[in-house]
Amino acid sequence: MDASSGNVSIKVCVPSLLRDCAGNQTHFSLEACTLDEAIQVLLETYPLLRFHLYDEADRLRQHVLMYYNDQNISWLERLDVPLRPGDELRVLQNVSGG
Amino acid sequence: MGTRIILLVGTTKGAFFFHSDSGRRNWQMTGPHLGGWELYSILGDSRNGHRIFAGTHHKSGGATIQISDDLGQTWRPVEHGPRFPRAGDFDWETGAWTRKDGAPEREWVLNRIWQLIPGHPTQPGTFFAGTEEAALFVSHDRGDTWEEVDGLTSHPTRPHWGPGAGGMGLHTILIHPSNPQRMWVAMSAVGVFRTDDRGATWQLRNAGMRKVPVEGVPNVDGAAQDIGHCAHKVALDPDDPDVLYMQDHGGVRKSTNGADSWFAIEEGLGQEGDERFGFPIAVSRSGDLFLFPLRSSEHRVARGGRMVVFRSTNRGESWHPVKGDFPATTNYVNVLRDGLAVDSLEPYGVYFGTSSGELFYSLDRGDTWDAIPGRFPRITCVKPWLVEA
Repeated sequence: MDASSGNVSIKVCVPSLLRDCAGNQTHFSLEACTLDEAIQVLLETYPLLRFHLYDEADRLRQHVLMYYNDQNISWLERLDVPLRPGDELRVLQNVSGG
Repeated sequence: MGTRIILLVGTTKGAFFFHSDSGRRNWQMTGPHLGGWELYSILGDSRNGHRIFAGTHHKSGGATIQISDDLGQTWRPVEHGPRFPRAGDFDWETGAWTRKDGAPEREWVLNRIWQLIPGHPTQPGTFFAGTEEAALFVSHDRGDTWEEVDGLTSHPTRPHWGPGAGGMGLHTILIHPSNPQRMWVAMSAVGVFRTDDRGATWQLRNAGMRKVPVEGVPNVDGAAQDIGHCAHKVALDPDDPDVLYMQDHGGVRKSTNGADSWFAIEEGLGQEGDERFGFPIAVSRSGDLFLFPLRSSEHRVARGGRMVVFRSTNRGESWHPVKGDFPATTNYVNVLRDGLAVDSLEPYGVYFGTSSGELFYSLDRGDTWDAIPGRFPRITCVKPWLVEA
């Protein structure tokens, strides 16, 4: 934790298909105070991810899921959730079936 | 070293490249490249160094253009690729999306990159991309940044454009060889447009085509707009830029006046039902034309379960099957609109890839065919690329 800023380091995971849009990595960490700030930091750090994760109306694409620990962020009432060290933000492809 | 050829093959699961010398007898494969991505378009360009462009998309990742400068060893997604302007903004405070003042009622969505072509030879840094939803994009810096040619989507018929079965893709972009002001584009279930001012304005060029029903087509300046024509692929004659050939939903057509009007060229293709239906059309530098007609628009498979390419050696006046020597196995396949191509070597090679992932090529105008060994994912595009080694 960066005590001076209140930022904590969390783990981020993106699908391998989007590796090239995230600095050629699928697992990395970022620092932020809250969940919504973490999402903004993620998209500002890797602007190509915004295009691939969000549609023309800035809505999460239909087949993209974003999980904060074990919760789909679309289930959360608020995104200004304070982060704790070791939290995870995971981007998943919602393409099920055979 | 001389001329080498790389056959760029796009599939629904990545791309495969086949390398050979100008003899084209032995092929060495690299790939899969861009594994996991679905490719609808691919282009190799050598006007300013070797660069490959791939139009990729995925259900969960949207559509983008990816570039390789090392023959596919590494790729980078284009950061400023084709995009439609945002019709609104997301407010992180409220978690709500709001439409901008004056924004169009309807959002346009970028689903796929259907076509990638080089610009006119006098513009070596220019490239064009055709997208779904249908729009034309241009890059003037070798593909690093793209902007929409919005003269096309400003056409008064745009609100009434609708998709064909495969989506509303702009799948054909042609540039006049000596006059870069003139271009043609085609899109399924809409039709053909031509510009004579480098894309600033576009005119419908569908006279003589068969029509599919489109509701609510507007009148503009008192005239009914002529959209709802399902062009599947259009090719430009190698010698006369006023001559174009088209495989459309209902048959095969030709224009001798720059697409001002079209007439049928179907002698020898069969008259039963709509068996002139097919997707690709390709033309050699000597003017030989090639088609892969299907059983019908309902079935969309090779007639009688046998692969047969049709050829015309008289600019479309008549067509004849070149049965080749394909394996005598049942083969209910399809060849998609960019799945048939001709190279510019002498003698020219003809190539096609099937919906079942097989690749065939002929070096004798289609009389005999060889298979490139292997079976691949559904083949969407086949593009021969000549490279000076």
